[in-house]
Amino acid sequence: MSRRRASDKAFWAGGIVIVVIYALLPVAWIVSLSLKPTDEITNGKFLPQHPSFDNFSDVWKDPQFPSALRNSLGIALISTLLAVVLATFAAYAIVRLDFPGKTLIMSGALAIAMFPPVAIIGPLFNMWRSLHLFDTWFGLIIPYMTFTLPMAIWTLSAFFREIPWDLDKAARVDGATPFQAFRKVIAPLAAPGMFTSAILVFIFAWNDFLFATALTSTNRARTVPAAITFFTGSSQFDFPTGQIAAASVIVTIPIIVMVLLFQRRIVAGLTSGAVKG
Amino acid sequence: MTRRALAAAAAGCVLAGLLTACGGGGGEESAPVLHWYVYNEPSGAFRTAAKRCTKAADGAYSIVTVDLPNNADEQREQLVRRLAARDGDIDILGMDVIWTAEFAEAEWVKPFPDDEAKEVTDGRLEPAIKTGTYEDRLYAAPFNSNAEMLWYREDVTPKPPATWDGILDQAAELRAAGEPDQILGQGQRYEGLVVWFTSLLESAGGHVLDESGTKVSLETGPTRKALQIMRDISRSPSTPDNFATAREDDGRLAWETGDAAFMTNYSFVWPSANENAPAVAEQMRWARFPAVREDVPSKVAIGGFNLGVGGYTDHPDEAFDAVSCLVGEENQITNATDGGLLPVTEALYDDPKLTEATTEVEVDGKQVEVRSFPYADVIKDELADAIVRPQTPYYNDVALAIARTLHPTKGIDPERDVERLREAIGRALKGEGLL
Amino acid sequence: MTATAKRTTGRARSERRLGWMLCAPAVTVMLLVTAYPIVYALYLSLQRYDLRFPDDHGFVGLDNYQAVLSNGVWWQDLINTLVITAASVIVELILGFALAFVMYRAFFGRAVVRSAILVPYGIITVVAAFAWRFAFDPTTGFVNGLTNSDRSWFTEQWSSYVVIISTEVWKTTPFMSLLLLAGFMLVPQDAVRAARVDGASAWQRLWKIIIPLMKPAILVAVLFRTLDAFRIFDTIYVQTRGAQNTESVSIIGYQTLISRLNLGLGSAVSVLIFACVLIIAFVFVKGFGANLAQQRGENP
Repeated sequence: MSRRRASDKAFWAGGIVIVVIYALLPVAWIVSLSLKPTDEITNGKFLPQHPSFDNFSDVWKDPQFPSALRNSLGIALISTLLAVVLATFAAYAIVRLDFPGKTLIMSGALAIAMFPPVAIIGPLFNMWRSLHLFDTWFGLIIPYMTFTLPMAIWTLSAFFREIPWDLDKAARVDGATPFQAFRKVIAPLAAPGMFTSAILVFIFAWNDFLFATALTSTNRARTVPAAITFFTGSSQFDFPTGQIAAASVIVTIPIIVMVLLFQRRIVAGLTSGAVKG
Repeated sequence: MTRRALAAAAAGCVLAGLLTACGGGGGEESAPVLHWYVYNEPSGAFRTAAKRCTKAADGAYSIVTVDLPNNADEQREQLVRRLAARDGDIDILGMDVIWTAEFAEAEWVKPFPDDEAKEVTDGRLEPAIKTGTYEDRLYAAPFNSNAEMLWYREDVTPKPPATWDGILDQAAELRAAGEPDQILGQGQRYEGLVVWFTSLLESAGGHVLDESGTKVSLETGPTRKALQIMRDISRSPSTPDNFATAREDDGRLAWETGDAAFMTNYSFVWPSANENAPAVAEQMRWARFPAVREDVPSKVAIGGFNLGVGGYTDHPDEAFDAVSCLVGEENQITNATDGGLLPVTEALYDDPKLTEATTEVEVDGKQVEVRSFPYADVIKDELADAIVRPQTPYYNDVALAIARTLHPTKGIDPERDVERLREAIGRALKGEGLL
Repeated sequence: MTATAKRTTGRARSERRLGWMLCAPAVTVMLLVTAYPIVYALYLSLQRYDLRFPDDHGFVGLDNYQAVLSNGVWWQDLINTLVITAASVIVELILGFALAFVMYRAFFGRAVVRSAILVPYGIITVVAAFAWRFAFDPTTGFVNGLTNSDRSWFTEQWSSYVVIISTEVWKTTPFMSLLLLAGFMLVPQDAVRAARVDGASAWQRLWKIIIPLMKPAILVAVLFRTLDAFRIFDTIYVQTRGAQNTESVSIIGYQTLISRLNLGLGSAVSVLIFACVLIIAFVFVKGFGANLAQQRGENP
C-alpha cells in the first residue's frame, strides 16, 4: 500500500511538472527572446548567448511605449473601479432585495458576456466620432466597463450569497436604512468578493486588443496591446522582434505578480459563478 | 439616500470630465501648433525638419510630430479613422503615395492653392508629382521617394541578369554549382505583393485600370505574363520556403546570411548590410529592377511619402506654408543623409551632398566609412520613368483584391487567374462585397 | 432562499425602488453599449454607408446581406472560424480535464500549479500570439531548431492552423480547467467510493459516474469557450492577418468596418456574426440542455 502511495505521488509530481512547463514555456521563450541582442535574434536558439538589456532600453526610448503603458494602466484601473462599483450595487440588489426584473438582469448580463464585440465596433466607432470620445480614455473605459460588468455582477452575486445577512437584518432592525446597512455592515464583508472581481476586470481591460485598436489612433489613448503591434524598427521596413519581446515582458510582469499574489482569489472568482452558490 | 446616489453619480461624471480633459490637447492662444501626423522615423529626420520649419516660421506657427505606426497599412487605418471622425487636430499628414485619390475624394485633405502647388512641384520628379495629383489638382506635396532595385553579389554573378527569366536561369545554374542561389522578394499578402504585381504588369506593357481610372484594364497577354513570372519565381527551388510570408525585412535578414544571389528590395538594405554583414556588403551590387521583356526596360512602381494638409484643420494657411517648408531641399537632404530616405527633387540625385555622402558603420568594433548612396544614378533612372499605382479612391479595395486573389503566389494559375483578378478588381471598384 | 415574508406595502415598494435604483447604472451602461449599438448596426446594415464617400448614402434594403451571403469569402471565413473553434474547444476540453484532475489530486504544490496555469490565463492575448509566432518563425524561432526542420509554418493553411490553435489552446485551457475543477468538486465522493467498492475500474468510474455528474459543468465550460473561441481575433491578427486562408469572421468584420470604413457592408457582417452567436447559444441551451442560470448559481 505504501509503495503504491509512493508511485502515486511520483505520478502526480510528474503531472505537476508537466503542467508547469506547459504553462511557462512560452513565457520563458519571450523573456529569452527579449534578452537576445540584435545579432542573436535569428540564431534559432532558445536561450540568449550574451544576454543584453538593449531591447528594453530601446522600448523605453520609443515614444509610443511609455505613453501606451500609462494609458493601459490608467484605463484598466478606472474601468476596474467603475465596473466594480456599479456591479456591487447591482449584485447587492439582486441578492438582497425583492424586486421584479432581477432574473431578467441576470440573464441579460449573461447574454452580454457572450456578445461578440466585433459586432458593435462599427456603430461604436461611428457614435464615438460624433460624441468626441474617439481616441480618448473614456472611449475605451466605457466598453471595458460594459463587457466586464456581467462577469463582475455574477461573481459578486455568488460571493454575496455567502455573506451572513443576518447582520444586515439586525442593523436594519436597529433602525438603519437599507443603504446604511449596506455601507456600514455589508460592504466590509463584501470586500474580498469585490477585490476578486476587480482582478478579473483588470485582466480583461489590460488584455483587450480589438477595442484598443479600433477606437484609438494615437499615443493619447492607445494601450499596450495595440501599441505592441505598431512598433517601429530601425527603418521603415524593419520588423522589431526584439522590442516586441521586451515590451511583452514588461506588460506581463504585472500579470505574473498578480497571479502569484492572488492565485487563490482568482481561482475562487473564476469558479464562483460555476459552483452553485 | 437618493441624494447620496446622485452625489456618487455626479462624482463619476466629474471623473469622466477630467478624463476627457486629460485626453484632449492643451489649448493654444497665440501662434497655432500644427500637428504633423507621420510615422516615427527612427533617425529623427522628421523632427529635425519640424524644428527647422518652426524656426523658419518665426513665431507664425510651430510644428510638432505625432507618431504613427511604421507599417503603411496600419498608418492608413489610424489616419483614416481619425479623418472619418472629422478630426481637426490633423493639420499636416504624411501620406503614402497610394492614398491621394482616396483622401482627396473623401475631402480628408485639402487641394494645394496654386502658388504653393507650384512651389512644391518645382523641379520634382514627374512620377512623384503624379502621385500627389488627383483629377488635375495637387493634394499632396512630394516629400521623399523610393523604388526597388535588384541587389546582387559581384562574387556570385559579375554580370547581373536583366530579366526575371534571366534570374531564374542563373539561379538554377548557381544552384547546380552549389553557389549561393537564393532569390529574395516580397510574397506576403500585403501591399508589397501589389507593388511587385503592378511593376511586372506595367513592365509587360499592361495596366491595372484604364485611362479613366474607373474600369479594369488588365490586358490578357501582359497580365498572364506577369502572373506566370510570379508563379515561376515562387515555385523556383531557389526561392526560400517562407516566400509566402516574406516582407522587405525578411529579405534583408536572409540577404545578410550570405546565401542569397538576388534580391529585389528598397535601399534600406544597403546601410544595414554594411553594418551587420560587412563581408556580404563588400560584394553587394545593384542594378535596375529586372525587366519582363528582353528589349524593354523595366517599369518600377514609385514609393515614398507625400505631405498633405488635413481637410478639417483650423489653420490651413499655416499648414500649407509649413508643408512648403518641410518638403524643401534642405529637409530632403537631411531625410536622405540621416534617415536614408531618397529625395524627390531630381537635381539632388546629382548633388555632391548626396552622391559624396558617407555613413559611418561599425565593423568588428572599428568605425568604417561607406558611401551612403552609391546607387543614386540607378535609382534616378528608375524614378524618371517610374509608374504610379492605380489612382482611384478605391485603391485600398483594389490593392486588397489583388493581394487576396494572387496570394499565395505559388498557387497562381495564369490562365484562370486573369479572369479572377478582373472580377475581384471590378467588384472592388464598385465598393461592393467582401474582399 | 430570498426573504419573501409579507411586509407592509410601503416597505416593499421602497425595497423595489432601491433595487431598481441600484441596478439602474449597470443596466443602463450595458444597454447603451450593447443593445443600442446592435440596433444601430441593424440600421446601418440596411444602408449604403461608406465613410470614404460621405455624399453617397442611402437605404439599400437587404443588398448588403445579399452581397455578404452570396460571397464565397464569408462562407470560407465562417468555416475557418468553426474549424478553429471546434478544434480548440475539443483539445481544451481534453487537456482541461487532465489539468483539472492534476489540480484536484495534487496533494502538494497546489499553489504552484494554480499560479502556473493562471499565467496563460492572465497574459495578454497579443503577447501570447507574438510569443508563439516568434517560436515557430523559421528565422527567429526555436521550434524548427528543436525538431530539426526548416518548415515555414505560416505559409500553409494547415500549419498556420496548428500554430493558431495551439496558441488559443495554451491561453484558454486554464480557464476551462478551472470551470471543470469546480465541477469535479461537486461530484459526491460517496458515489465514486461506492463504485470502487463495487469493483468499477478507474476508467469506468470516470465515464459512468464522474462525467455524467459533471455534465452541467462541462456544458457550461464548453459553451463559454465555444462562444469565446468563435470571436477569435487577436491571435489571427498578429500571426497571419488572415493570410493562407485562416481568416475568421471577426477579422473580415474588422477589415470591412475599420480598414475599408464601409460601415454598411461591415454592419451586415456584424449582424450575421451576432446571429451566429445566438444560434450557437440556442443550440447549446435547447439541444444539450445547458442550464446556465441554475448552474451559475442563480436560483432565486
